[in-house]
Amino acid sequence: MSAAPRDGPRAIELRDVHKSFGTTKIIQGVSLAVRGGERHAIIGPNGAGKSTLFNLISGRYEVSAGRILLHGADITNLRPFEINRQGLSRSFQVTNIFHNMSVYENIRCGALWSAGYRYSFWRRVGGLKDVQRRTEEVMERIGLARRSSVLAGTLTYAEQRALEIGITIAGGASVILLDEPTSGMSRTETAQVVELVRSITQGKTLLMVEHDMGVVFGLADRISVLVYGEVLATGTPEEIRANAAVQEAYLGALHGETARA
Amino acid sequence: MKYAPLYLGRWMLWGASALLFAVAPHVFKGGFALTLLTQMGTLIIFALSYNMLLGQGGMLSFGHAVYSGLGAYGVVHVLNFMGKGSLVFPVSLLPLVGGLAGLAFGLLFGYVTTRRAGTTFALISLGIGEMVFACVLMFPGLFGGEAGISTNRVVGQPFLGLSFGPALQVYYLVAAWCFLSMAAMFALTQTPLGRMANAVRDNPERAEFVGYNTQRVRFLQLVLSSFFAGVSGALSCINFEIVSAENVSAIRSGGVLLATYIGGVPFFFGPIIGAIVFVFFVVALSGFTRAWLLYLGLFFVLMVMYAPGGIAALIVMQFPVIRAGRWRELLGPYALAALAALVALAGLIGLVEMVYRLSEPGASTVLTVLGVSFDARGAASWFTFAAVLAAGLAALRLAARRVGERWSALQLELQSRTA
Amino acid sequence: MEFFLVQTLNGISYGLLLFMLSSGLTLVFSLMGVLNFAHASFYMLGAYFAYQVSVKIGFWPALVVAPLLAGALGMLVERFGLRQVHKHGHVAELLFTFGLAYLIEEAVHLIWGRAAVEYRVPVELDGPLFHIMGSQYPIYRGFMMLVSVAMLVSIWAALTRTRIGLVIQAALTHPQTVEALGHNVPRVFMLVFGGGAALAGLAGVIGGNAFVTEPGMAAAVGPIIFVIVVVGGMGSLAGAFVASLLIGCMQTFAVSLDWSLAGISIAQVAPVLPYLLMVLLLIFRPKGLMGTREG
Repeated sequence: MSAAPRDGPRAIELRDVHKSFGTTKIIQGVSLAVRGGERHAIIGPNGAGKSTLFNLISGRYEVSAGRILLHGADITNLRPFEINRQGLSRSFQVTNIFHNMSVYENIRCGALWSAGYRYSFWRRVGGLKDVQRRTEEVMERIGLARRSSVLAGTLTYAEQRALEIGITIAGGASVILLDEPTSGMSRTETAQVVELVRSITQGKTLLMVEHDMGVVFGLADRISVLVYGEVLATGTPEEIRANAAVQEAYLGALHGETARA
Repeated sequence: MKYAPLYLGRWMLWGASALLFAVAPHVFKGGFALTLLTQMGTLIIFALSYNMLLGQGGMLSFGHAVYSGLGAYGVVHVLNFMGKGSLVFPVSLLPLVGGLAGLAFGLLFGYVTTRRAGTTFALISLGIGEMVFACVLMFPGLFGGEAGISTNRVVGQPFLGLSFGPALQVYYLVAAWCFLSMAAMFALTQTPLGRMANAVRDNPERAEFVGYNTQRVRFLQLVLSSFFAGVSGALSCINFEIVSAENVSAIRSGGVLLATYIGGVPFFFGPIIGAIVFVFFVVALSGFTRAWLLYLGLFFVLMVMYAPGGIAALIVMQFPVIRAGRWRELLGPYALAALAALVALAGLIGLVEMVYRLSEPGASTVLTVLGVSFDARGAASWFTFAAVLAAGLAALRLAARRVGERWSALQLELQSRTA
Repeated sequence: MEFFLVQTLNGISYGLLLFMLSSGLTLVFSLMGVLNFAHASFYMLGAYFAYQVSVKIGFWPALVVAPLLAGALGMLVERFGLRQVHKHGHVAELLFTFGLAYLIEEAVHLIWGRAAVEYRVPVELDGPLFHIMGSQYPIYRGFMMLVSVAMLVSIWAALTRTRIGLVIQAALTHPQTVEALGHNVPRVFMLVFGGGAALAGLAGVIGGNAFVTEPGMAAAVGPIIFVIVVVGGMGSLAGAFVASLLIGCMQTFAVSLDWSLAGISIAQVAPVLPYLLMVLLLIFRPKGLMGTREG
């Protein structure tokens, strides 16, 4: 657990955010603040709107109402690339990699913009030493250094999930959103991913959606519980565990798992 | 994009190509061969520029001839100014003018067309192509109407003794620009923009989430591609000394699409092969039969159905087998399939030619093959060729299955060896 | 005044013809995700089949036979061609239909030659329908409108009122679910594609003799149909309807009005107008008039 100050600067702030698809209300007035440097998890039953919240923050969807701020700047309804350039990077629950490129090239794509090379067509990408170093560094961290030239589409599922995270962190964003990073993984794989997440979010802000309570309670500084598009409670893992409403709505059935964590 | 892992191999390949360019007209002698080679060189640039859009950027365009054609128009006007003496400019650098003209229109039209992607982009490119074609016909002052604008490429002082009058000199001009353009376009694939164009092609959404404006990437890729299209247009103008509405027509746009696809979209060198094959089809075959476009269209459709990676993919597929030294085992099935295909083709050609004989007013209805006469009015001829076609197709089906079986067996063995 | 009325009626009849074409295209696109580049080629085939049948037998049989022939050909194309290409993705499907358009045009060249053929309006329908203040409005134009409207109404009824129509509507968004429920979705695709071809063929039957029947007719009307689909919004039937009438009237008026600007008459500029409309729309409203589905 990192020692995030109780009332430090807010990395992400949602102010009364609403989102409807047609007449269906998915997010109904969510206000949330993620403090700089903390690891914050969002949990909740299926259909609660967790992924939608991610999509709103990262610019994939537009809000129906409300404001979203990143480091105090209004990023509501900005395009995804504009938000990314301001220091927020996200991963996807359904692996969203570049299937026809190698692992190395995938990660390099994630690193190019922040390295400042933009749309350059006069520089040879192979000669960009800083990008090369960064890419190799990230590959090492996610444990895919030995699979560097393998086509991403032919990797195993767990390797693709690792690559997914690799692309997300390659740009060096200070705010990282991870959407169910351990979904579909075995116990060992999950443990590896948890360690990876812990190391890559050292000194950064993490917002994470997760179903695995063991992961959540082991990693998160604070947890928010989302039910039917509304935040039921926000607090430290102990506070959430003790919260009666949360227990009733969500945690009750999972008590056995948390005991094992 | 696939590329050779060995840098030495790559240098050798480029050196060999340069050598081929230099030596070609001496190996394939004669005026006809020279026109073929010159047209191939021009089309190679055009097709490579087209693949910058399709193969590298994932943008299917039905109106790419706009940029090469307008580049050609730019050059024809400059050339005519030079001819009148109002402008002094080396002919050898005219492709640069064409490139800049193409680029200017790339900036203009590209802004509108790259606002959308996918199928919509394809349709918009078609619309822009039709629009430009209609405009060209509407302003005969600028574009010479249906007859077009003709010019003379022999103007001004000879450059190092080259007046570019003789066809051989034009060939070498085309060859030089072709080699330079090939090198430039290949170099572009190795830049951040080139890489991100591939990323946008594969997964535009993720590209946005790593900080790139996909629209901007596609726009820039199109602008660069239109420069090279303009270069090819300029060379076409210099070669034929005439530019008309046909240069911006849907036929030209369709032609470069066919050429690129047949050659192989997923590989950098694919369009090079495609351009060579296409010029053969169009120029050589059209001398033999009126139905050449039918055969070309059929070839294209069959490629889309059975070999979507083009000729290049078919070649590259053989490499692992060749490297393992076992290609000889495929020779038999391949030869059988080729034979069956030839039989089927013979039947098809017979049928097609007979239809021509019947529908063409004033043509003789008798088709003579290897000394045997077939009268298109007689049912026997139809049955014969139909039977040949059917037999060929049936044999092809069997042969294809044999090839498939042999392939699978080889794949299994090769994979178990490397595993 | 009478000029305006007559031209409006002409514009509407042309627009309805365009809608017959663009609606078939939109339906196939909505259902199968495939933009049939050869759609206008089936229009051409419908005209040529009708010509052949009407020369040998008569126009009224041709009205039934030609679209059926076109539809049958469409089904064959789907079954033996498109289905094979489906696994290679949307670009391959589009290119397949693109190559098919070439093939059909060349086949038409081969069989009927390069010149226009004399596909005539039948004698019964040749003549004035009514007189408006001195000008006459041809029966055939009225007939065209009648056929267009009748066909479109029956398609709407078939899609919304019959069982197969419901299956098609469901397969539009959830093909796998529909297949899991026991319906033969590939056969549905084949029927829809064939239906689109038949619709285009019918448009060819009634349009081929009103305008001209020649091998270049597919290439002449094809791009306009695509512009309509883009302007109306990909996948939107309502948008295609509005765009068809808009462009139909625009073209009709442009060709018949006698205005000029700076030495260029509007009739000269007429061919370019639909594309200008498309460009303007793209700049200001990229989704199209009523866009729903991104291509």
